[in-house]
Amino acid sequence: MADLEIRGLTVEADGTEILRGVDLDLNQGQTIALMGPNGSGKSTLAYAIAGHPAYEVTGGTMTWKGTELNELTPDERARLGVFLAMQYPVEVPGVSLTNFLRTAVNAVREEDVPVREFMQSLRAEMAELDVDDSFLQRSVNEGFSGGEKKRFEILQAALLRPQLAVLDETDSGLDVDALKTVAQGVNRLSGPDLGVLIITHYTRILRYITPDEVHVMFEGRIVASGGPELADELEAGGYEGIRAAHAAGV
Amino acid sequence: MTTLTTLSEAALTGASDAAGEPTWLRDRRLAAYKRTLDLAWPDSRVDEFWRSTPFAQRIDVERDIVTTGGSDSPASFTADLDLEVATARIVDGALVEVTVPSALVAQGVVVTDLSTAAAEHADLVEPALGSLTSSDTEGTGAGADRTITVNDAAWTAGVFIHVPAEVEVDAPIVMQIHAATGGAHLPRVLAVLGHHARASLYLEHTSEPDTDALVDEVVEVTAHDAAILDVVSFQRWGDHVDHLALQKVQAHRDSQVRHLSVTVGGRTVRLLPETDLVGPGAETRPLGLYFADDGQWFDLQPYVRHLAPRATSNVLFKGALQGRSRTVFRGNVFVHKDAVGTDTDENNRSLILTEGARADATPFLEIECSDIVAGHGSATGQIDALQLYYLTSRGITRDEALRLIVTGFFREVFADVDLPGVEDAAMSEIDARVAAADLASFQINDASLKDHHDE
Repeated sequence: MADLEIRGLTVEADGTEILRGVDLDLNQGQTIALMGPNGSGKSTLAYAIAGHPAYEVTGGTMTWKGTELNELTPDERARLGVFLAMQYPVEVPGVSLTNFLRTAVNAVREEDVPVREFMQSLRAEMAELDVDDSFLQRSVNEGFSGGEKKRFEILQAALLRPQLAVLDETDSGLDVDALKTVAQGVNRLSGPDLGVLIITHYTRILRYITPDEVHVMFEGRIVASGGPELADELEAGGYEGIRAAHAAGV
Repeated sequence: MTTLTTLSEAALTGASDAAGEPTWLRDRRLAAYKRTLDLAWPDSRVDEFWRSTPFAQRIDVERDIVTTGGSDSPASFTADLDLEVATARIVDGALVEVTVPSALVAQGVVVTDLSTAAAEHADLVEPALGSLTSSDTEGTGAGADRTITVNDAAWTAGVFIHVPAEVEVDAPIVMQIHAATGGAHLPRVLAVLGHHARASLYLEHTSEPDTDALVDEVVEVTAHDAAILDVVSFQRWGDHVDHLALQKVQAHRDSQVRHLSVTVGGRTVRLLPETDLVGPGAETRPLGLYFADDGQWFDLQPYVRHLAPRATSNVLFKGALQGRSRTVFRGNVFVHKDAVGTDTDENNRSLILTEGARADATPFLEIECSDIVAGHGSATGQIDALQLYYLTSRGITRDEALRLIVTGFFREVFADVDLPGVEDAAMSEIDARVAAADLASFQINDASLKDHHDE
C-alpha cells in the first residue's frame, strides 16, 4: 500500500463535479508531477487532499498511511504531515508572519518550541530562500508580490517539515530567478521522508526538479502516466495531443 | 443628597466654597446650572446626536452624585512598565491621590486638583475651562447638551494638567478614574500643552464588577502651536456602568494630536472624541477599538472640525461584536469654507462574530470648501472562511486560528502607535474577551470560497 493512496476519488465544487474518479499512488521519498491543461482538475485534487471547504469529496477514498484524510479537518491533516503550497496564498491582515509561523510550528510539532530555537531556524530558512528580515514584522501575505507569496509558502514547508508536500502551481507568476530559488528550496526539502506532488501547467519547473513520475490529468481523470520523458513530450507537443486522443476516445 | 436633576444654586455654591474655589469658578458653575434649567434631557427620538443611543431607556439620571472618595482602585496597566509616571487618581467622585515625579515638577509640569488650580493657576485655567464645551463654532455640532452642561455646573473631581511650552514628557500622565459606589460620577479633566510641548495623557476608567453608576465625564485639552499630544482612553467598566464622555481637543498651528479609545467595558458607552483643528497644518488621528459583548451598547462619535487651512485628519475605528450587542459609529468631519488644503479620511470596520449583534456605521462628511482631499468608508463583515482555512491548513486549530484572525483585525489600529504599554494593554483586553468567547458560535463568511475554485 502506498503512503498516499487515492482511489476512485470524485470531488464537487459548487455543485459541479470536477474530479471523476482519480487514482494516484505516492510514497515518501518520491516526487510526482501532475500536469494538465487549465480546468482539468489538478488544483481540485490538491485542495481535496488538503481539506479545502469549497471542495466536497463525493466518492472514493484518499488515505495517508492508512488514515482516511477526508474524515479529518484541515489542521488534523497538517498535523499528520500534509502540506499544501497554495496557488493563491491568502492574506491574513494583522497576523504577523513570525506569530503565524511559530503558532503553526508549535501546532504541527505538538510542542512549544523555544523562541530562540524557533527564531534561529526561521532566520536560517529565510536566508536560504532569500527572504528579507523585514518580512518578520509583516502580516501574513499582506502586500506580498506573487513571487514573495510563493517563497513564503516554501518557507512554511521548510519549517513545518511535512511528509507530503503538494505544490499547487508554485511555479506560476515567478520569474526565472525566483523559480530557481523556489525549486532549490523544494530540492533541499526532498529526501527519503518527503513525498512531493508537483502540480503544474508548464514543464519549466521540471527543469529544476526532476520527477520520478509524470501524470496527466484531463477532464477530472488521469489520462496518461509515464516517466520524466512524458513531460518532454508535453513540452514539445503541448496538451493538444492528449485533448485529441481523449476526443477520439483513445 | 443631590441628584443630576435636583441640583440647586445653594448646593453648588456650598460645594464650590467648600472646595476653596475662586469666585469666577463658582459663578461659572452657577451660569452653567442656569443653562441646564433651560435644557431638557436628550430625547433620542428627535435629537440627531442621540438617535444612536436611546437615552430614556439606558441612562438613569435620578442618581445621587457621588463625592465620597475612596482609597482602593485597580493598579494602572502602566505600573508594570519601568516608567516614572505622573498619576492622578479619582475614586468615587474625589481626587484622592496625585503623584508627580520630581523631574517633572522641576520642569514646571503641573498635575493637580482642578479646584486648587483655578485659584493658583487662574491665568491658565480661567480662559481654558469650559472653552470647548460652551463655545459656538461653525459646523453641525451637538450644540447645547444637558449631559455636558451638567458636568460644567457640578463636576466634583477635577484634574488640571499643564505641560509648559517646549517641555517634552516621555512617560505618560495617567488618570485613573474608578467608580466603586453606585450613583452619578462627574469627573473633569483640563489639560493645556504649551507650544512645542509633548505629552501623553492616559485615562483609565474602571469600576467594581457590581457598581451601578452613571459616569458623566468631560475632558478638555488645548494643544498649542506645534505641540504633540496623545490622549488614550480605556473603558474597562463593569457591566452596570453607563459612561457619557466628551473628550475634546483644540489643536493649534502644526500641532499633532492622536486620540485612541479602547472600549471593552460598560453597559452603555457614548464617547465623543472631538478635535477642533483651529490652526493651519494641525493634524489629528482619532483611533478607536472596541469589543462589544452581550448587553453592551457602544456609541462612538468621533468628530473633527477643520477650521483652518492645510490641516489633516485620519479617523479609524475598528470593532468586534458578539451576543446581543450594539455598536454605533457616527463619525463626522466638517470642513469649513476657509479650510483649504484639508486632507481627511474616515473609516470604520466592524467584525460581527455571532448572530444577534448589530453594528451601524454612518461616516459623515460635511464640506464647505472644494479645495480638499477627502475620503470615508465603512464595512461590516464576518470572519473570512478563506483566512480561516489558510491558517488551519498549517496545523493551527480552528479555535486558535479564530483568535489570530480577531486579534489581527485590531492590529491595524496600532500601525503607527508607539505609546508605552498601550498596545499590549489593549490587546490583552481583546485576548481576554476572545478567550472567553464561545468560538463555536462564531459566524464564518464563506463568500470568499466561492470566487476561489478555478478548476
